[in-house]
Amino acid sequence: MDAQFLIELETLAEVLDQLDYFGVLKVPQTASPGEIKAAYYRESRAYHPDRYATVESADLREMIGRIYRRVNEAYTVLRDDRKRTKYLADVTGPEREKKLRFTEADEAQVKEAQKRKIEEQFGQTPNGRKFYAAALKEIEGQRWDAAERALKSALMYEAGNPKFKELLAQVQAEYEKVRPKGDYRIK
Amino acid sequence: MNDDIAVGIDLGTSYSCVAVVQEDGAAPAVLPNEWGERTHASVVSFLDDGTVLVGNDAKKNIITNAENTIYSAKRLIGRFFFSDEVKKAQSVMPYRILEGPNNSVRLGVKEKVFAVPEISALVLKEMKAIAETSLGREVKKAVITCPAYFNDNQRQATKDAGRIAGLEVLRIINEPTAAALAYGFGKDINQKICVYDLGGGTFDVSILEIGKDVFEVLSTAGDTYLGGDDFDDRIMAWLADDFLARHGLDLRQNKYCLQMLKEASEQAKIQVGREGAAAIDVQGICQSPEGQVLNLEQKLSGDHFNRMVMDLVQRTFKVCDEALQSARLTAGDVDAVILVGGPTRLPIIRNSVRHYFQRDPMTGIDPDEVVALGAAIQGRALLSTRAAEYGQASYLLDVTPLTLRVATVGGFTEPIIDKNTPIPIEKSKTFTTSRDGQDRVRIRVYQGESKQADACELLGEFEFTGFRIGYRGEVQIQVTFEIDSNGIVNVSATDLETGQKTSTTINLSSGLSETDLQKAIDDNAAVELARAQHTA
Repeated sequence: MDAQFLIELETLAEVLDQLDYFGVLKVPQTASPGEIKAAYYRESRAYHPDRYATVESADLREMIGRIYRRVNEAYTVLRDDRKRTKYLADVTGPEREKKLRFTEADEAQVKEAQKRKIEEQFGQTPNGRKFYAAALKEIEGQRWDAAERALKSALMYEAGNPKFKELLAQVQAEYEKVRPKGDYRIK
Repeated sequence: MNDDIAVGIDLGTSYSCVAVVQEDGAAPAVLPNEWGERTHASVVSFLDDGTVLVGNDAKKNIITNAENTIYSAKRLIGRFFFSDEVKKAQSVMPYRILEGPNNSVRLGVKEKVFAVPEISALVLKEMKAIAETSLGREVKKAVITCPAYFNDNQRQATKDAGRIAGLEVLRIINEPTAAALAYGFGKDINQKICVYDLGGGTFDVSILEIGKDVFEVLSTAGDTYLGGDDFDDRIMAWLADDFLARHGLDLRQNKYCLQMLKEASEQAKIQVGREGAAAIDVQGICQSPEGQVLNLEQKLSGDHFNRMVMDLVQRTFKVCDEALQSARLTAGDVDAVILVGGPTRLPIIRNSVRHYFQRDPMTGIDPDEVVALGAAIQGRALLSTRAAEYGQASYLLDVTPLTLRVATVGGFTEPIIDKNTPIPIEKSKTFTTSRDGQDRVRIRVYQGESKQADACELLGEFEFTGFRIGYRGEVQIQVTFEIDSNGIVNVSATDLETGQKTSTTINLSSGLSETDLQKAIDDNAAVELARAQHTA
């Protein structure tokens, strides 16, 4: 292995953690899929560990291994449209330094977002959710009085839930339309 | 310039083959044994005189020395004792299959108990001996192949087998990748190819893109429970049921009759493939309770055989669908199809492949030898410092076939590294302690596509210690999962605060410990291989 290449290797190893995947593959952020693949093949010919299997120094082999694992990591993300789009957003945004190594939308973040969505839609407490689900069924069958009762029960558990309140108002409006007038109702 | 040499060994379920590239610039060549045989049955027979017979002659002993003759060990290597494959083998194999520590498998022969890699190591010892006799020199290094769909346990066990046989295993490479390498090496090819590899016990499909000297695996899929042996089983079942109907005796109940039935079925399969029809004739296969000697006589037509095995053939194309889908290609995008494995000689396979890909499979490739040739090329590549000068550089960009996962709560798993990710690769994940004063963190690592842990393959439980002890959630441990070029998983951890590596212990692994391995190496070295008795 000549001295020039050795210097290149050591330099690359040193800056590796500051490069984003485009830098690792030495392609512009606008590279086409064909260009990404060609770059991957080019970098593989240069840094594939098999080529250096006979190198004596274990440290040197480990350095090359570390570089090439990053090349594979870069290719895995950049060749996938969805991941590439997200990655580009990550590394052009304010948190660039932290996002040089790709992770799927933080699992924690995804879980939080999903949980929030469900809570908004269906309630935050088990009983609130139960009565809300029952109310939806009654609404489907146009049984407005039953739906009203269910929603009022739901609100007992979650007085502040805006969705419940909104739906209750709608149900009450519907019920007004069809309520038999003139009978005695216990309020 | 060194004269170091590495052989390529195709360690097959039914047959093995050894090849070598003798020097930079040379073509790969299969090394025959002293009788001129180029492939050797992966059968190990323990003889009464204490020697071990391996190869085509040992095959006969499957009937005559059934309890002491082990075949198809590859079906068991790296598997857990309670797996379906092992249970099935226990019911049909004439040799003893026992439970070992940590749900591993052991094989009992005479008074000895062997781990499965020890048996495969005897096949490798024979391959090593064949190579050494043919080359007239010592052979210490090898590249050994395995099915692309083998999991980490199976790969590690294969590597162990190499070590036990006294070989330095330079690499474990995937069989379809090896075949692609043999096909495209030294030619100026730019193509997308499909390798359809139907062996004795396993089926693999790999889709590769070849760019001159770069062999990129786009995707791989497989079925490690599907092979030529299953085609034999269909014939066996038909013959046994027919015999039962005629004579009221079930040949499958007696292990000797079963072996004769098995051999007759295998011959019938080959004959029907070659000639379009087969005549089965086993005189004196068994005796009735009244003492009457019974014969097994039947005729099998090509059409009947095809109907019998059609569902197996269809299963292979489901796997092809999966591989193409992962590679985001259609069958029409494939420029060339390569058939690997003896069973691909069957007309039903060739015709189905032609129909599926709308093109004829490549000819001029020996399906029994191409994998060993590819392994030999890779062996030279790993030893050579000057391959590029001879226009013989090659870069195998392979992938991991199964998703690597970590157990979470409730019996579920989360993915760490997806299947079909190019290797070598690493991925890190931060874990923390869940209790105050916790001094060890344990994670269970799996491979598979299911979110349920019990539908995946357990690789082991990794325990990390030696980090700072603190309140729960305080200590951050970064666990790095690395998959190396062999497709083997390595797990290590660092205390993020100090940057210090933690100490790692592996529990629940079904593999051999270093002590076991050392003992197995010594035992294997002491084994004397029997020389086959050949009458010229």
